[in-house]
Amino acid sequence: MIPAQTQTPLPDIIGDLLGFGTEMGPGETFIASFIGAALVGTLMLTMTALAGPWAKRKITAAFTDRYAVNRIGPAGLLIIVADAVRLLSKELIVPEGVDRPAWDLAPIVIASSALLGFAVIPMGNGIHLADPEAGLVYVFAVASIASVGLVMAGYASNNKFSMLGGLRAVAQNLAYEIPLVLIAASVVLFAGSLQMSEIVAAQTETLVSLGGVAIPSWYVFVNPFAFVLFMVANLMEVGRNPFDIPEAPTEIVAGYQTEYSSAYFVLIYLGEFIHIFLGGAIIATLFLGGPAGPVLPGILWFIIKIWAVFLFTQWARSALPRLRIDQLIEVGWKGMLVLALANLVLTAVIVGVIA
Amino acid sequence: MSNPWIAVGALALVGVAIPLSMIGISSLLRPSVPEQGKRATYESGEIPTGDTRIRFNIQYYLIALLFVVFDIETVLIFPWALIYSDAVAEFGLTPVLGPMLVFLAILVIGLGWAWRNGAVRWVKSERAEIKSEL
Repeated sequence: MIPAQTQTPLPDIIGDLLGFGTEMGPGETFIASFIGAALVGTLMLTMTALAGPWAKRKITAAFTDRYAVNRIGPAGLLIIVADAVRLLSKELIVPEGVDRPAWDLAPIVIASSALLGFAVIPMGNGIHLADPEAGLVYVFAVASIASVGLVMAGYASNNKFSMLGGLRAVAQNLAYEIPLVLIAASVVLFAGSLQMSEIVAAQTETLVSLGGVAIPSWYVFVNPFAFVLFMVANLMEVGRNPFDIPEAPTEIVAGYQTEYSSAYFVLIYLGEFIHIFLGGAIIATLFLGGPAGPVLPGILWFIIKIWAVFLFTQWARSALPRLRIDQLIEVGWKGMLVLALANLVLTAVIVGVIA
Repeated sequence: MSNPWIAVGALALVGVAIPLSMIGISSLLRPSVPEQGKRATYESGEIPTGDTRIRFNIQYYLIALLFVVFDIETVLIFPWALIYSDAVAEFGLTPVLGPMLVFLAILVIGLGWAWRNGAVRWVKSERAEIKSEL
C-alpha cells in the first residue's frame, strides 16, 4: 500500500515561503523545520500558559461554586504574567544530599519530552511538523519518556515523599501503558496505517447520513467502547484525578515534585500541562478525526478538541475521588488490560468480517 | 517531501531550548540565600530522620516482570494490526486471525496464572495483611 500524502508537511510550506524551492538541502530543511518547530512549541506553550495559571483555576472555581482569579486584567487573565514572574523570581532552594545531575535534569526531561510528541500531530491548516510512517509508535514512545523524568525527580530529591511519588509513578506507568497501546492497536486495525495523516484521512469517510447531515467515520462513532477505554487510560497516562496518585497532594505532599522550587517547579508544572494537551492531541487524532470539522478552520477545531479533553480532565479532578495505589494496580491489570484485549479481539473480528 | 525526522530533531532542540532559557531567565531574576534551615528536606516541618536511600520493598517486582512480557507482546501486535485488513482480503479470516488468537490466549492464560498467584497486587506487607483481616 503506497501512503497517500494528503497534505504538505509544515517544513515544506515554510521552505516554500522562504524561497528554498521544491528540492531543499539538509541545511535548508533544518532551517525550515526549526521555524516550524518554534511555531508548534510557541503554540503549545501559549495553551499551557492559558491552562495552568488561569483556566485550571477558573474551571475548578466554576465546578466548586467559588470565585477564582479575577483581580488582575480582564477576567483575571493577566494573572498569567504575574504568576510567571512570581514563580521565576523565587529562590531556587537546593536541598541537602540531592543527586545533583539527575535532580537538575529531571525537570528538563519532563518538560521537553512532552513537547516532542507534538511533532507528528496533524493540527490542521498545514500545521503538521513531521509525518513519519511510524508516527503513532513514535508518539507513544516519547509520551512515556516523562515517566523516566518522574522517577529521576523522585529518587534524586533525597526526600521520602518524593521517593514514594517516584515509586507510585512507576507502578502507575506499568499499569496503564499496555492497555493504552493495545487500544491504539485496535485503531490501527481500522486505519491500516501508523502514519498520523493516514489515520486522519481514514476518518473522513462518511459513516451514515442522518437527515442530510453526513456523520464522518470518526473512530469515536465507529468504536465508542475503545474511546471510553482510551479516555480512562489517558487520564492514567497524564496522572490526573482520579489517577493523580504519584502527586497525591493530600497524602504525600506533592510526590516527586516536593523538593522543587522556582524555575524547576515551573518546568515540572509546564510538562504536566503539555502532557495533558498531548494526551488530548492523541485522542483528537485517533478518535475525533484530527483537525476535521464543519465551518471553522482545522486548527480551531483541533484547539477546541484538545481543550475539550482538558476540560474533561479538570471535570474529573473536581468530581472524582482519588484511587488508592493498590486499587490502581487492580484497575490497570485486572480491568483495563482484560478489557483492552477484549476490545482488540472484538475489533479484529469486526474488521475481518467486514473486509 | 523533506525527511520528517529532521523536523522531529528540530522540535527536540526547541523542546530543550525552552526549559534551558527559562532556567537562564530565572537565574538572572532570583535571589540566592542558602541557609541551613531552608536546605533541609521537607518532612512536614519536622527535623528529617534517617536516610531516604535505604533498602525498600519493591512492591511491584512481579508486575514489572509481567509488564516486560506484555510490552514485547504489543511490539508483535503492531505489525500484525498494520497489515490485518489487507491480509484478510487476500488470505481469508482464519489464517490471519487464528494464530493471533492463539498467541493472545497464551498471554491471557499467563495473566490468569499470575492473577491467581497474587502477583498482580500491591499489598505484600504482613502487618497490612493482618490489619485487613481484622
